[in-house]
Amino acid sequence: MSQGPYLLRNQVIADIDQIDVYEANQGYQPLRKALKEYDPKALVEMVKASGLRGRGGAGFPTGMKWSFLPNDGRPRYLVVNSDEAEPGTFKDRELIEKNPHQLIEGMIISSYATGAREAYVYCRGEFLYGAAQLKRAVAEAYQHGYLGENILDSGFSLDIKVYRGAGAYICGEESALLESLEGKRGNPRLKPPFPAVAGLYGMPTVVNNVETICNLPPLVENGPEWYRTMGTEKSPGLKVMSVSGHVNRPGNYEIPLSTPLRSLIEDYAGGIKGGRQVKAIIPGGSSVPVLTADKLDTPVDYEAILAAGSMLGSGGCIVIDDQTCMVAVSARLVRFYREESCGKCTPCREGTFWMTDVLERMEAGAGNPRDLDLIRDMADNIAGKCFCPLGDASLGVVVSAMKYFEDEFEAHVTEHSCPMGARLYDTVNH
Amino acid sequence: MIRLTIDDREITVPEGTMIVDAAAQLGIDVPIYCYHQALGPLGACRICLVQVEKMPKLVTGCTTAVQEGMVVHTRGAAVDKGRKGVLEFLLINHPLDCPVCDKGGECFLQDYTFQYGAPAGRYDEPKIHKLKDAPINDFIIIDQERCVLCQRCVRFMGEYVGEEQLLLEGRGVDTVVATVSHQPMDSQFSGNVIDLCPVGALLSIPYRYKARPWNLEREESVCPHCPVGCTTSVTSREGHVIRVEGRPVAGRNWGWLCDRGRFGYDFGYVEKRLLNALVEGREMSAAESTRTVGRWLDAALTDRGPESVAFLVGGQQTMEEAYQVARFSQEVLPGSRTAMVRTVEGYLPSGLNGSFQDIERADVVVYIGGDPYDAVPVVHLKVRERQRANPGLKVMGVGAYELTRDFHGAKNFTVKPQHQAAFLAYALAQAGTKSQAVEHLASQLGTYVPSLLNPVTPEEIQALGRTLLESEHLVLLWDGKEPEMESVLLALRAAREDATEVLPTFGPSNWRGWERAGIPAHFASLQTIIDDAAQGKISVLFVVGADLLRDYPDREQARRALERVDHVVQVGLFLPEEVQLYHAVVPGAGWSEVYGTYTNMEGRMQVAMATVQPPGQARPLRTYLNSWAHALKKSFVLESEWDPFDDDSGDFVPRESLPELRPVTVPEPSPGTPPGSLRVVGFSLVMEGGMPSEILAPRVPRFPGRISPQDAARLGFSEQGGELQLEGTMGKISVMVAPDRRIPDGILALPYGIHGSPLNQLGEGASVKAVRLEEVSLG
Repeated sequence: MSQGPYLLRNQVIADIDQIDVYEANQGYQPLRKALKEYDPKALVEMVKASGLRGRGGAGFPTGMKWSFLPNDGRPRYLVVNSDEAEPGTFKDRELIEKNPHQLIEGMIISSYATGAREAYVYCRGEFLYGAAQLKRAVAEAYQHGYLGENILDSGFSLDIKVYRGAGAYICGEESALLESLEGKRGNPRLKPPFPAVAGLYGMPTVVNNVETICNLPPLVENGPEWYRTMGTEKSPGLKVMSVSGHVNRPGNYEIPLSTPLRSLIEDYAGGIKGGRQVKAIIPGGSSVPVLTADKLDTPVDYEAILAAGSMLGSGGCIVIDDQTCMVAVSARLVRFYREESCGKCTPCREGTFWMTDVLERMEAGAGNPRDLDLIRDMADNIAGKCFCPLGDASLGVVVSAMKYFEDEFEAHVTEHSCPMGARLYDTVNH
Repeated sequence: MIRLTIDDREITVPEGTMIVDAAAQLGIDVPIYCYHQALGPLGACRICLVQVEKMPKLVTGCTTAVQEGMVVHTRGAAVDKGRKGVLEFLLINHPLDCPVCDKGGECFLQDYTFQYGAPAGRYDEPKIHKLKDAPINDFIIIDQERCVLCQRCVRFMGEYVGEEQLLLEGRGVDTVVATVSHQPMDSQFSGNVIDLCPVGALLSIPYRYKARPWNLEREESVCPHCPVGCTTSVTSREGHVIRVEGRPVAGRNWGWLCDRGRFGYDFGYVEKRLLNALVEGREMSAAESTRTVGRWLDAALTDRGPESVAFLVGGQQTMEEAYQVARFSQEVLPGSRTAMVRTVEGYLPSGLNGSFQDIERADVVVYIGGDPYDAVPVVHLKVRERQRANPGLKVMGVGAYELTRDFHGAKNFTVKPQHQAAFLAYALAQAGTKSQAVEHLASQLGTYVPSLLNPVTPEEIQALGRTLLESEHLVLLWDGKEPEMESVLLALRAAREDATEVLPTFGPSNWRGWERAGIPAHFASLQTIIDDAAQGKISVLFVVGADLLRDYPDREQARRALERVDHVVQVGLFLPEEVQLYHAVVPGAGWSEVYGTYTNMEGRMQVAMATVQPPGQARPLRTYLNSWAHALKKSFVLESEWDPFDDDSGDFVPRESLPELRPVTVPEPSPGTPPGSLRVVGFSLVMEGGMPSEILAPRVPRFPGRISPQDAARLGFSEQGGELQLEGTMGKISVMVAPDRRIPDGILALPYGIHGSPLNQLGEGASVKAVRLEEVSLG
């Protein structure tokens, strides 16, 4: 068993994005092993045994997802979701930009396991460099016989296509992603049917996150028992956390799951800038509720973070220091959802629009006391009533911030100013 | 079947039923915007929230299928709060301009706001502004600010009609409905989006600012323009028809209309409408005209007997009017003859006549002669709907050009004009059946081998024959052009074990109804009268509703007939072509002015109510018949109501037993079309040749004729098309044509009844010399 890092080897091995460097560092060895020593069924069982959970946000067990594919002879597709656009999350970007072969190798193994003969990477539109890296790496993989007909004489064939989105956060939602990949407007689909039954072009489809698939090579190399030596029973293995905000060393860190939040912030990310204190943490990307500083000892795993009142989500950990106005944070994040709402369903489309206006007005000092109840009621009218999770996602931060920092919100509407000393905009002309 | 409880009432519905539909069956109204049964669930508007026990959140009733034992509550505090919230969201960016919105009073946004909405808004921020009053074509205006983005219009055009002309642009709160590339929508089904729009976002331009729902009369009616007989609802105000809407009939149709039916309602009051009688060049009152006509009739009876009188029925007459003509002929002038004016010569025995329900069950649909899209547009939608439900549906075309448009997996057999009956007989014979009827048919073919205009292998022809014989549920749509097809269809029915249903796509719209009323439908009856007239054997000829020169297949013969008759009397809404050939033209009353029954291509009888008074001196037909009888000093008493409905066959005209097979003539091997010539193929186009309409004028095709791209290039036409001069043995016309990739070389497809470019001047199937008319420079 080798020593980590496993997913972020690019941080210790220079030029691993080049195929010769990748190969020189055991690259494509797990693929050889998978094709030689495993049949597809055994691979699915291995992934099940590892307890690997989807790293896109929902944390659904990957092996189980794979086993939902109906066995009806229709062609199957593997689609890798690289539409990483959640504020605070930037792990997939590093994975595709710095080590694209790792993803490609993972995709070949996953396609072999799930029976896909065609695989797609749906790359976020803004990832120009990442898409270029992937395309180059895919071409290299073809040249080296890792893609195309009869890969490594195994009889298994696979084609990978890299597709760039057009710049829509909603296309990170798997069914909207599939619509977009089919060339349609990126709006989420009605479920059921789920992609496993009727996905891309109506065929059985597995949609997995980049990081999830990147787990495959080390997993095949080291086996499921190794994977389970890290993390907890229900959240085993490794996770790449994107740490951003008021920390000294923002960046991506590969941690064994159940590492405490405090350790992630202090040991990995170098602590809070300027010696200030943590005020709040958004542990799993902009869609999840904030945690307050008293939750710093929570282990970073799916269950523990849920118990603490938030979600691990995509692993985008945004650290907020004690000088920050939570109304401003809420307004900024809700505006993101307003801009990214696809417009399909009413509560998300209109609700995020209205809520942004009210929060920005409050932040500008033009709020009034009715606004607090209005926001709560609006949130209630959005919550659980939208077509897809985006609407609910827009509420994660604002609703929790209002709960934990109510006095701050109240001060904005009663004092018409920010107790944090945040700069006030021109209130006269608002 | 699934049993569930909705608002404490139990109901059993088929698996897959959505909660809103199950509730509707109980008479429980769950509000909806985006959902439409024909389009399926979408789940966008979120207004249909309901509470399902044991589910943690409210669910949308339009996307949630029923489950065994489900307990649903369609009202309650949580549900009402949810709907109130959705409505509040819908209204924050809505302009709230109901006082100037045509939808006011029949708007679901108003209705539901009244029912569930908050009494006052809480929204203090600036609203988003979008496009208002923007025309998306000549008939429809869009107000993007009023739009609730339910996508019904977008989905209808794209998924249902298959003509993607509307889309969503932008995202989030900036999303709008727009036309593709901002080009005008030119689909002939565009008007349906007005009916589909649940709010005031898509409105009719001709109806704009015409009325409020409370100063309208609305009557149930039937569209008279083509044989589909779509159910409509006619809106009138102060004696004018000002709007036609589709009228859905539960379990039967969704209420779609084509734009011809929806916007072509103004013929009742266009400037051309005949308001006074015209007798021998002199305008007079309708009452005065009856005395003159009575004198002519009297003289004819005295001099030459009732055999010298004939009645031709056409146009949009109701069954009741046809019945009155038949009775008048029998009782007042026994010995006189009647016939209906036909454009094509074929006849379909009622025993072969299928219904639209057959399309809903079909495995194979065969278009013979014409494309339903042109002749009976809404049938095209029905076939599309069938293919959506049954992707394995085979659509095939047998005609002089490609008929099947973009149907998935369609197959075309392009057969020369006048060879289609023989070709189908040949295909059946090749299929190797033991059926006597087919063998009988085959024996008449001799050594005939069809030659096709598109590449088709003998195996494919054999496969066609087998498909025709073996498919489980076969529906044929026939354009009625080749009379011999009747025998082929009869033989096919005799040879098949499973359902074989034929739907006639030819007009006149109500021909089956007039047949039921006692007017002979066979072309021969008409032809005999016309030929007799041309030989001077007719003294008085009544033409009711039809325009003989426009409609009769042989224009020259029709002209000879009119010239030789002593007195031609026309009852109609408009002056006929070459009015100098008529001795009297008297103003009749038409659709929407008289109550009556129409029989559509299914043989289904449907009642249309009268909504307005006939204008000017226009009189219902029965008034004239009574007066003419009176002038002859004869009594003519009609029962107050004739009931055309049959005790056993319900809405349908009774199906009669099938006639004997008649021989199929093997077509002469047609001489090759000489170079520089084209062979003329007529087709029905609802946009051409019907009642005049000023509203529809922009939609009438500028280039109605269609030729192959190669012929167009050879003749020197641009892609847009141009004017073609045609010269045949019967005459000369010029017509606007455009290249169409569906037309094979050497064929000119021309709609019947183009004003000024009459196909019957050339003759169906005629080979004509074709030259391009040079564009005249207006410089």
